[in-house]
Amino acid sequence: MIRLQNIEKVYRTDTVETLALNSISLNVAKGEFLSIMGPSGCGKSTLLNIMGLLDAPTRGEVRIADSTPGYLSDKQLAHFRNKKIGFIFQSYHLINDLQVLDNVELPLLYRKSTARERKALATAALGKVGLSNRIKHFPSQLSGGQKQRVAIARAIVGQPEIILADEPTGNLDSAMGNEVMDILLHLNRQEGTTIVMVTHDEQIARKTHRLVRLFDGAQVQ
Amino acid sequence: MLKHLFKLIWNKKKQHFLLMVEILFSFLIMFAVFTLAVYNYKNYQRPMGFDHENVWALSYYDKDRSGADKDSLALFYEMVKRTISHAPEVAAVSFVSNNSPFTMSMNNSVITRNNKTAQVDHFSADDDYVGVLKPVLLKGRWYGRADDGAALEPIVVNRSFETMFFPGEDPVGKTIKVGDHDARIVGVVQDMKDKGDYKPLGPGLYQRTTRSSYSWLSRMLIRIKPGAGANFEGRLYKQVAGILQDATVEIEHLDEKRVVKNNITLIPLIVFGVIAGFLILNVSLGLFGVLWYTISKRKAEIGLRRAVGATGAGISRQVVSETLVLATISLVVGLFFAVQFPLLNVFFMEESVYYTAILLALLFIYALVVVCAFYPGRQAAGIYPAVALHED
Repeated sequence: MIRLQNIEKVYRTDTVETLALNSISLNVAKGEFLSIMGPSGCGKSTLLNIMGLLDAPTRGEVRIADSTPGYLSDKQLAHFRNKKIGFIFQSYHLINDLQVLDNVELPLLYRKSTARERKALATAALGKVGLSNRIKHFPSQLSGGQKQRVAIARAIVGQPEIILADEPTGNLDSAMGNEVMDILLHLNRQEGTTIVMVTHDEQIARKTHRLVRLFDGAQVQ
Repeated sequence: MLKHLFKLIWNKKKQHFLLMVEILFSFLIMFAVFTLAVYNYKNYQRPMGFDHENVWALSYYDKDRSGADKDSLALFYEMVKRTISHAPEVAAVSFVSNNSPFTMSMNNSVITRNNKTAQVDHFSADDDYVGVLKPVLLKGRWYGRADDGAALEPIVVNRSFETMFFPGEDPVGKTIKVGDHDARIVGVVQDMKDKGDYKPLGPGLYQRTTRSSYSWLSRMLIRIKPGAGANFEGRLYKQVAGILQDATVEIEHLDEKRVVKNNITLIPLIVFGVIAGFLILNVSLGLFGVLWYTISKRKAEIGLRRAVGATGAGISRQVVSETLVLATISLVVGLFFAVQFPLLNVFFMEESVYYTAILLALLFIYALVVVCAFYPGRQAAGIYPAVALHED
């Protein structure tokens, strides 16, 4: 599903050159749940951004769902992300001025769909994360765990093949973190969604199929 | 997407309140500016109705003539007119009342016919007026020798007068009460823009001067032949001043008086336009600044939208569209106030003036917000999603 070959990412300023990722090669199979661990600044999020086509590698090849996105235009990349990838972030990134339902509908706004279809899909996605009774609430009226469940609903509403989660439990206490993790595991098992998750939590990482460790931009496990 | 944007803006209405008020006031100011501009332009577009080129106004202010014998006065002033007319540079001369074209003088009264009442301008002029100002005769004729000894005073009316008092009728030959006596209409002329290019047209009538009019007449209009210049003006002045001893004589050119008269309308309009321009500039800068600031505060949201499928161009369009939605909410409120003007017939202007001004003000405000949102929109489109999502 995801194939990275000799990925290198270098950040350059006028005076400094920082090697964020050094020759990373990684294959993620369809339906696999992979976790990435490593200390802060080791390149986890950079790697996730490259997988999510939010960033481009300096060198190396990325293949996602049988496509080579390096050759895609901005419009094609946006369409690809919309159709194939769902994102979950540590700080949820919900739009505070929109109700829960509208937040979940967001990815559907960027594809051809009617308001009725959007509402049906968003309601179903919220049902999957157990928030059917919160659709009219604003994010500020929700707990951290609920916010992250809304973010998961938003990530799955477009039925993507891949979910990329950047420390989804990082801002949550262990109970809420487990709740969120259960939802992700359920999605992976029941719906076969490929999930790549960055985490700092060893216990959470152990629940996934495979663990990859990074250190100073290089893969160590 | 539009519904989504409306929802987003509506939910942020408290944050956007001042901005919306600013757009509302800008719209109302532009509505006022465009109303004045359209009103004046419409008046300007109307035909002049007479030829003021090569026409001079000769005014003479002499001793009190009210007690003088009217036949002697008539003989004297007709002699003055003949003397002026004999000059080879002169094409035609006419005695006129003081409210001749492009002066500040007015003379009007209320006329009523068939339950219709209106304020009507009265102009007095002799038979040669038609040769001096060349009014456009639409029906009938100008009064002349044929009316000598007529039982009723002959008058000529303008098109507005005809429309007002004789809708669907031919007024020629009809009588109408003017002051305390009946007058017979002998002709209809096109409305003359005698108060300046930007003034509205209104009903008017032209009365024939009589022998007794010389006791109060103090102006002549003189059509000169092309090429007669300052030399002739000097000679004419000396000649008339010589005849009208003790009188103050003044010669003015109608085309110059027209410019002066037009400036009385144009200068306040220009001043108002400049003030409005500064206000709009302030609003634009404010709008631009707020949008720019908002973009910097919404980096994470922009990053998220990019992540879930928005293109850079889509983000740019969204910023512009949001501003348009914001403007639309303000403009709906503004429209409510603006349409009261034509509905309540405020200032008695034609409805089309207000509706055209509303349309222009709407287009202007929409264009303004698009221009102000364009650059912040481009800035937003350039936000790198990976960085924006990491920053928050």
